[in-house]
Amino acid sequence: MSELLSISRLSKAFGAIRVADRVTLAVAPGEIVGIIGPNGAGKTSLFGLIAGNLRPDEGHIEFDGRDITRLAPQERARAGLARTYQVPKPFTHMTVAENLRVAAVFGAGLEGRDAEDLIDRVLEDTGMRSVRGTLAGRLPLLMRKRHELARALATRPKLLLVDEVAAGLTDHEVNDFIELVLRIRAGGVTILWIEHVMKTMLSATDRLVALNAGRVLASGVPDEVINSAEVRRVYLGA
Amino acid sequence: MDQSGLSEDVYWALIDVANGLLSGAMLGGYYALIAIGLALTFGVMRLVNLAHGDMLIVAAYLAVVVLQFIPISPFLTLILVVPVMFAIGYGLQRFLLNSVSVQSMEQKGMSTGFGLMSPILVTFGLSIVIAHALLGAFASDARIIKNSLSFSALRLSEDLNVSTLRLIFFCVAVAILIALHVFLRRTHAGRAIRAASDDAEVAPLMGINTGRVNAIASGISLAIAGVAGVMVGMSRTFQPFDGPVFLLVAFGVVIVGGLGSIFGSLVGGILLGITQVLAGTYFGPSAQLVGGYMLILLVLAVRPQGLFAR
Repeated sequence: MSELLSISRLSKAFGAIRVADRVTLAVAPGEIVGIIGPNGAGKTSLFGLIAGNLRPDEGHIEFDGRDITRLAPQERARAGLARTYQVPKPFTHMTVAENLRVAAVFGAGLEGRDAEDLIDRVLEDTGMRSVRGTLAGRLPLLMRKRHELARALATRPKLLLVDEVAAGLTDHEVNDFIELVLRIRAGGVTILWIEHVMKTMLSATDRLVALNAGRVLASGVPDEVINSAEVRRVYLGA
Repeated sequence: MDQSGLSEDVYWALIDVANGLLSGAMLGGYYALIAIGLALTFGVMRLVNLAHGDMLIVAAYLAVVVLQFIPISPFLTLILVVPVMFAIGYGLQRFLLNSVSVQSMEQKGMSTGFGLMSPILVTFGLSIVIAHALLGAFASDARIIKNSLSFSALRLSEDLNVSTLRLIFFCVAVAILIALHVFLRRTHAGRAIRAASDDAEVAPLMGINTGRVNAIASGISLAIAGVAGVMVGMSRTFQPFDGPVFLLVAFGVVIVGGLGSIFGSLVGGILLGITQVLAGTYFGPSAQLVGGYMLILLVLAVRPQGLFAR
């Protein structure tokens, strides 16, 4: 199967700090790939590089059969890339529906009825119908996390980059999110997922990629990656 | 003039207050008109445009030039002035200010502080260049946009008048504010401007081209400054170096009204106008400006984010 996302030898440094060091990885359509690694391993920076917030020093990113290394973030969004943040970043002065409308109009390129239909569907799928008219800045944390996913979905992505939704949630809430992400995948969206909560990563992902100091340490079947000698040494401290 | 039961002193005291409130409010509409463009870029885009006042003067000279070739009503010059000013604002943002914005500075590895500072420096330079270009083109003679309404007033009662021009400016200011509000709330472009102002990092991830959106916002800002400039030119004389006067007025209005609040600029303008006129009425003409600045200082001391900050 041809890859949806294929990153080759991607490097980025801020001064002496290398946040990405010749990172190579590929994601096939329909996969859920988890990214693990200690703090400062370069996980979030990698998302920045893929989504276009950061420009790489070297390397290439191919998405959906097209070289996007030089594309601006808005062009990548329109091409089907979406990203969420660990600390949700809603447009706080706009309502939930308006947040999603911006995504549907500018990201998914929809107009009028089509945009409204998509917004309704996403609100339904993410369990946010009741807060449709609420200012996004007034949402409680759990809803903000849902909103972050909902707005990303309203751009109709092919690939969704999910940055730590489980952090700070109860087991029950984490399970809800895992279920939601699995449903999103079932809807045809490929997922690249950063998470610290190991249980989430082991149960929900098809593959794991372990990063450390901007480098890919190991990648493969979740159990094998977790149990590999390098990962145990750097990440689990064993 | 004797009124039923009121002694003449009380009557005239009341008329003074009524006249002060009325002409102050009307002056406020004029101030709001001057400030709306700045409130939009300053409040919504967090861009401090120090050339805002000079842009007003540019628009006034544009109207003068148009009227030299086609003798029409000064109000009709807006058909030409507004699109030209929009184009200037759009181009300026797209080709100059976007490359010194906070985001672009951060991308180049500069600090946020540097990013906030650089548009101030660039527009300060622009202000000087514009004033000297106007001096070169039009010399330093004071100009005015001649119109039939300069000395016309509407009589509300025997002792209560309101300047026709000021009343028109007030209505224009209200109309522009309503239009701007509807635009920002109800159109795709308006929502994109709000989203980009809310979070400039996330907006592109929703497919928004922030460079283009900021250019549209700056275009609208200068289009409104264009309307204000023509109105300014109709109500008083102007010279190439008058820009900073209007910049100060606009800043005063934005400080009182509150950052990021479009309607705040109307309330801010009215409060500033009334304060000035009342101060002038009771403490003499020289107290006008002082009264205005006292209000600004008071707001800064008590509610530094402005009365209607969101």
